[in-house]
Amino acid sequence: MFQLFLIAFRNLGTHRRRTLLLGGAIAGVTALLVILMGLSSGMKETMLRSATTLATGHVNVAGFYKVTAGQAAPVVTGYPKIIEQIRRDVPELDYVVQRGRGWAKLVSDTGSMQVGVGGIDVQDETAFRRVVQVKEGSLDALSQPGTLLVFEKQAKKLDVKVGDTVTIVAPTMRGTNNTVDVRVGAIATDVGMMSDFNVFVPSATLRSLYQLRDDTTGAILVYLKDLKQVPHVQARLRQKLAEAGHVLMDNDPRAFWFKFEVVNREGWTGQKLDITNWEDEISFLSWTLTALNGLTGVLIFVLLVIIGVGIMNTLWIAIRERTREIGTLRAIGMQRTRVLVMFLFEAMTLGVLGTLTGAVLGLAVCLGVNAAQVTVPEVVAVFIMSDKLNLAVHAGSVIGAMVFITGCTTLISLIPSFLAARMKPVTAMHHIG
Amino acid sequence: MSLKNMLSAAVLAAVMLSAPAARALEPAAMVQLLSTIDDRQRNGGDYKALVYLEQKEKDKTDNVREAFVYRRDADDKLMILFSKPKTEAGKGYLRLDKNLWSYDPNVGKWERRTERERIAGTDSRRADFDESRLAEEFDPTYEGEAKLGKYTAYKLVLKVKPNVDVAYPVVKLWVDKDSTNILKREDYALSGRLMRTALYPRWKKVFSESKKADVWIPEEIRFYDEVEKANSTIVLIKSVDLRPLEANLFTKAWLESKSR
Repeated sequence: MFQLFLIAFRNLGTHRRRTLLLGGAIAGVTALLVILMGLSSGMKETMLRSATTLATGHVNVAGFYKVTAGQAAPVVTGYPKIIEQIRRDVPELDYVVQRGRGWAKLVSDTGSMQVGVGGIDVQDETAFRRVVQVKEGSLDALSQPGTLLVFEKQAKKLDVKVGDTVTIVAPTMRGTNNTVDVRVGAIATDVGMMSDFNVFVPSATLRSLYQLRDDTTGAILVYLKDLKQVPHVQARLRQKLAEAGHVLMDNDPRAFWFKFEVVNREGWTGQKLDITNWEDEISFLSWTLTALNGLTGVLIFVLLVIIGVGIMNTLWIAIRERTREIGTLRAIGMQRTRVLVMFLFEAMTLGVLGTLTGAVLGLAVCLGVNAAQVTVPEVVAVFIMSDKLNLAVHAGSVIGAMVFITGCTTLISLIPSFLAARMKPVTAMHHIG
Repeated sequence: MSLKNMLSAAVLAAVMLSAPAARALEPAAMVQLLSTIDDRQRNGGDYKALVYLEQKEKDKTDNVREAFVYRRDADDKLMILFSKPKTEAGKGYLRLDKNLWSYDPNVGKWERRTERERIAGTDSRRADFDESRLAEEFDPTYEGEAKLGKYTAYKLVLKVKPNVDVAYPVVKLWVDKDSTNILKREDYALSGRLMRTALYPRWKKVFSESKKADVWIPEEIRFYDEVEKANSTIVLIKSVDLRPLEANLFTKAWLESKSR
């Protein structure tokens, strides 16, 4: 068998031009596949990291409080006790934070905009600091009440700089409009769609805007060490919180703001908790990932068909060129199966070398793009939640791509190899070509 | 003039006379200067004034509003009730404790507003109509003397004290060296951006029975919006009355009753 492999390898060396052409094409497709996979998983990772830090935890304990049947507010009362219980009942816990939730009008001296206002305790938000890149000011400014973090695009729209004051206007739970003045403490780099409609203030400031007590929040964001544990933790929290006497809402896998209509229609008053996971809270964004994966799949399929036809055709030509050689090999006693295996080896070796080169090339491009900090157009940044292109390459997926393309080229070469093996030695030796 | 005011003026005069004009004011003297400015405008009792607000905005026709300003400085209470034009009549502001409430009779709702609230959408703010509290709210630094037309003025930079809520955290003030009246005021954001300029071209004094001394009142204040450069507001303060007001005046119910 090793002999056959050597013959196949030497054959590749003998027909250097053809090998380079075909190997180059395989390398090109592999590199493209690696880059596309890097792009897809990079976008997915960026989206998930940004969304799970800015808008949701891995598991969220949120809910609604209703003063009257028709007026719901996204509020969780008595949150310190719930956090205590989460720490007790969730050993998989990495960390837990609380976030106030609001929807308010942000008014500067030159403009205004409607935004979602997140109330944070910035000293507890370790992951938030990693995701949010501050361009001006400091995140630590948010440790003082009456401060605000806005994103670049919002700062531009409102025409504000660090130190400027803006007013936040929102109706309280009792329907009275309230306002607070906040000083811009930090301007952060945009993180896609999330930064279009989200700003952050200290929790105390949000509470003073909505006239809420100190033990109220909007949601408790639970972060786990392992994302795979999300369904178990979610189910356990439902059970344990219900056992602790909390009233829970039926599971509704949507972002909290989609639920206002349903909750306002229901007749209950008081507090109900709602337990969701990160997928529920960013379900409105999941179509972008599906679309991206679909697009990558279609593109790879088309490229593979083209390259497959190319390989088959080239091998076909190679076999025609080497018909006399095949005849000689058969005449001196080489079995048909060995001829078949020899050609398969040739295609496989070509595939391995081509994909290896392509993977290295693709990897280099991905690393280069990451190092160059390429800025994406605004329309792309909206979806990937980052203004910088991030290509995430994983060893497993690169090896997978190599195996897949090598497998495809080997399989495609079966037909011409089989035809070569089927030839009669006399016919083959008499062949003029 | 009350004993307290006389003492303040005496201390201020002593400090000013003992220092050459060009020399910097000592911190204590600056605080004293701010206290004097506040004291000269403080009535101590009640206050009522008829106010006209003439608003100029870019690409809009000029707008004049008439309002009554009521103050009870002893309790830090303020009320502004608009009487003209008809569309604005009955609207008002009421300051109770540290809260500024706005009322619109068209919707019958009260809304809580902040210090940055543009009074009736003009360039004026609550503090422009209220008792002067410069010494209480700001820490001054001396920037030297400056000429404003024929006037020589002390130029002070005021920075808001911690945990004090004001419309603008940094203020530059030009104070007439002779009269200690404010001549000009520039309001800045913490970012250093100039937000508004105010000019005080006319001051008048009114004798107050409750204070037993004269109270100085700016007859006219001109506000220039430095962000939307074409916008400005002129505030004219007329018919100042320092006699005691009704006891139950500073209530939401009273203001609501004026539009029924």
